[in-house]
Amino acid sequence: MKDIARQQMSIKVSSMDLLNNQIKLEAHASATYLAMASWCDQNAYTNSAEFFYAQSAEERDHMMKIFKFIADSGGIAISPTVENINHDFSNLEEVFENALDHEIMVTKSIHKILATARNDQDYVVENFLQWFVQEQLEEEKSLRNILDLFELMGRDGIALKLIDERITRGE
Amino acid sequence: MTSVYQSKFYTLYQSNTDRYFYIDFGQKVVKLSFCQLLALRQKVNSIAIETHFDADLNKHGFELLMLCNKEHLFLLNTLEILDLKNLVCYGFALLGISSENAKAVY
Repeated sequence: MKDIARQQMSIKVSSMDLLNNQIKLEAHASATYLAMASWCDQNAYTNSAEFFYAQSAEERDHMMKIFKFIADSGGIAISPTVENINHDFSNLEEVFENALDHEIMVTKSIHKILATARNDQDYVVENFLQWFVQEQLEEEKSLRNILDLFELMGRDGIALKLIDERITRGE
Repeated sequence: MTSVYQSKFYTLYQSNTDRYFYIDFGQKVVKLSFCQLLALRQKVNSIAIETHFDADLNKHGFELLMLCNKEHLFLLNTLEILDLKNLVCYGFALLGISSENAKAVY
């Protein structure tokens, strides 16, 4: 019997399911960062708003990278629906803390797919995800550095303004 | 045609001559390309079977399933959906592109 399925698809369907789930997570992250950018804009944290606009675009790029990978591998990439985006925050620090929590969730998900791919000997997926492992490390580091600023500079009015001034795209 | 997997109601076949799969649904046999088979898997897996046991979510316990770019339409009950989920799960395992262990199928 010819292996038609393998001829048509280079990855395991179980990996495809997990990657489609990751697409949802990246889309959710992109929309969440957009909500954060909106909150920062409303509260006159201009640099933070720009930071989150850029982060939102970056998360969408990640989503598209996975989307195209699934399609190129012969699978079916599912366009995600995004729901339950939080627009309410108490202060700037909470915004960045939420962003870091989101990144940690994404990192854990990437690691889970990687572990599954390794277990299934799905080496194409394993190799593809290596870039994301490094990327997530940088994303988490960038947000951790910003949260350190709150410890160093305080949380009162002028300190928040100074923190915002120090936040740049790719911080 | 080579039989890949037979569940209680359905049988998945792979053609020996062309690059197609066939599913015998009892009342008719449906020809599917690999992409269409993948789409079927996606649709079947996205059916939340729990809703069949909640009268508010699925009053009559039926699902409408459209296959092959809306070429075929099926109305399936709870048992048939469960059986189709079974066919998809083990069928893909036996095709060797799922992490399910094909040896565990038999």
